[in-house]
Amino acid sequence: MSVIRVEGVTRDFVVGEETVRALRGVSFTVEKGEWVAIVGQSGSGKSTLMNVLGCLDTPTSGSYWLNGHDVARMGDDELARIRNQEIGFIFQTFQLLPRETALANVELPLVYRGVGRKERRERAREALEKVGLGHRMTHRPNELSGGQRQRVAIARALVAEPSLLLADEPTGNLDSATGEEIIRLFADLHAAGHTLVLVTHEPKLAARCPRAIRISDGTIVADGPGREVALGNLAEHARAHG
Amino acid sequence: MRAFLDNLRLAFGTFIANPLRTLLTLLGIVIGVATVIAMMSLIEGLRLKVNRDLSQLGANTFQVTKWPVGFGRVNWNKYAKRPNFTLADRDDVMKHATLVRTVSAEDAHGGQKVSTSDRETRPTVIIWGVTPEWTETSGVEVQSGRFFSQAEELEGRAVAVLGQDVVDVLFPGTDPIGQQVRVRNRPYTVIGVLQRRGSFLGIASMDNLVMLPMHAFHAAFGQNRSVDLNVQAIDAASVKQAQEEVTQIFRRRRGLSPFDENNFEVHTNDSMTRMFNSLSQVISAASFGVCLLSLVVGGIGILNIMLVSVTERTREIGIRRALGARRRRILMQFATEAVALSLLGGVLGIAIGYFVAFLARWVLDFPAVVPVWSVVLSVVMSSVVGLAFGIYPAARAARLDPVEAMRSE
Repeated sequence: MSVIRVEGVTRDFVVGEETVRALRGVSFTVEKGEWVAIVGQSGSGKSTLMNVLGCLDTPTSGSYWLNGHDVARMGDDELARIRNQEIGFIFQTFQLLPRETALANVELPLVYRGVGRKERRERAREALEKVGLGHRMTHRPNELSGGQRQRVAIARALVAEPSLLLADEPTGNLDSATGEEIIRLFADLHAAGHTLVLVTHEPKLAARCPRAIRISDGTIVADGPGREVALGNLAEHARAHG
Repeated sequence: MRAFLDNLRLAFGTFIANPLRTLLTLLGIVIGVATVIAMMSLIEGLRLKVNRDLSQLGANTFQVTKWPVGFGRVNWNKYAKRPNFTLADRDDVMKHATLVRTVSAEDAHGGQKVSTSDRETRPTVIIWGVTPEWTETSGVEVQSGRFFSQAEELEGRAVAVLGQDVVDVLFPGTDPIGQQVRVRNRPYTVIGVLQRRGSFLGIASMDNLVMLPMHAFHAAFGQNRSVDLNVQAIDAASVKQAQEEVTQIFRRRRGLSPFDENNFEVHTNDSMTRMFNSLSQVISAASFGVCLLSLVVGGIGILNIMLVSVTERTREIGIRRALGARRRRILMQFATEAVALSLLGGVLGIAIGYFVAFLARWVLDFPAVVPVWSVVLSVVMSSVVGLAFGIYPAARAARLDPVEAMRSE
């Protein structure tokens, strides 16, 4: 069973009189254990696709099965449950709660799963150790570096053992050295069998992934090994600005 | 239950993060609840004290007066037209009533100075004119010297019996018996001192007085006034019948037809207590209204701060929603925060109310008691206020779209 199966997904936004067609029929599948980059420039529809994949938004038409759940027709409460159980989010701006400690931030998905306090704490601790932050558990986000914050966010994504890790420009707010550390952490997670989908506009990052899907104007224009799709992207980029 | 505890923990986390803001938000609720608790405890205390002090009016005794012991709106004109009670009325009751042991007449004039050749009281002394039977009907005893006799009363002798407060001021350390005091420039010879009686309701001293024979009193303050009659029944079982008998005597004496209402008042300890209780209900209702008003003001404070809180924490709400919190959970989180905030105010208010009652007891020696129902009421009302004013901001928080919310700064 595929982790992601998307068939003919469209998403329209009505802005005043106009209808913006952000996704114009997207279909692909992601198997368990895959590491896929979704690349595209801003305005390509990749953020909309990311929101749909993350169950933060529902498609206007088409189908989306996430780990066997028919997500496209779900109501708000069911979507919240799916997000909680099936998806681990990693955001560009980390999206940590500023007042809470690293530990409490990592616990959060378990809070909404109804896990008891003691078990929550234990599992959060394990997740933080897994990302190399065992010594920073009681620090608040503003006491941590950017790379450490993103590690906390990754620990939070891992803690509930979701079927899909969904990262949105995870290195966008980091310097290149720190970004590299995070990429290596993703590689480790991939090696450990996690399913990873990474949304980015950086071809260099996409080139590191075994597989990349390039999206432009709301449709998939390339799907293949990361390096090739990224190179194609580079070529097109060069042509546009040549 | 677990979700509730988590929400509660979050709420208190927020309070601890913004202690000053939390405190200021609470103020309205605190004041409202503290007011109601303090007022209720004082009224309750007053009620206890009134019941105790009123029963100091002598045993088996009731009063017949021209004026109602009125509080509130009274048609004074109607009462002013009533005939006065005189000493002749007293004598008439004594002559005709069979269930009456004795009757005393009394009248009083407040705000007087009493002086000796070298000392003077403040102008707060109450001068009483009474007939000699007063010691029996009031149950008050003479501590030293004696009370005046029937002869002294009838002859209008210028003699006086002093209360302890007056003795303290005019005759410190000396025996007042046989000395002269002056009231309104008339000299009186002191023949006795009353036992100390303490204060009425913890406010007015009952020892700051001078007793004069009724005739002497009339000579000083004029006769054109109504006396009050203190009627003592022959025994406790006859009080009700004695009242009926005295009422009939006066109706006949005043030529009232069976359809006329009494043009005088008959009071017992009971009727005074009843009247006071109805008064205390009015005060309770009024202070309850004031409290309700400040609770509403406090509620608006909570509404305001919760709206600010939701705006400030839009991003937090987005994150929580993205990580799997349902709308309902967000709603509950903020509703819990509002109710906890309000309840915290309620608890603080109750504590302050208790403190006021405590002060009244230990500093003013006033038997203030916080009634349990007022505590229960405060808790319920502050929860209701928190919920009523917190539900709208909470609903706004729950309606936020997670993607939009996470984008906000």
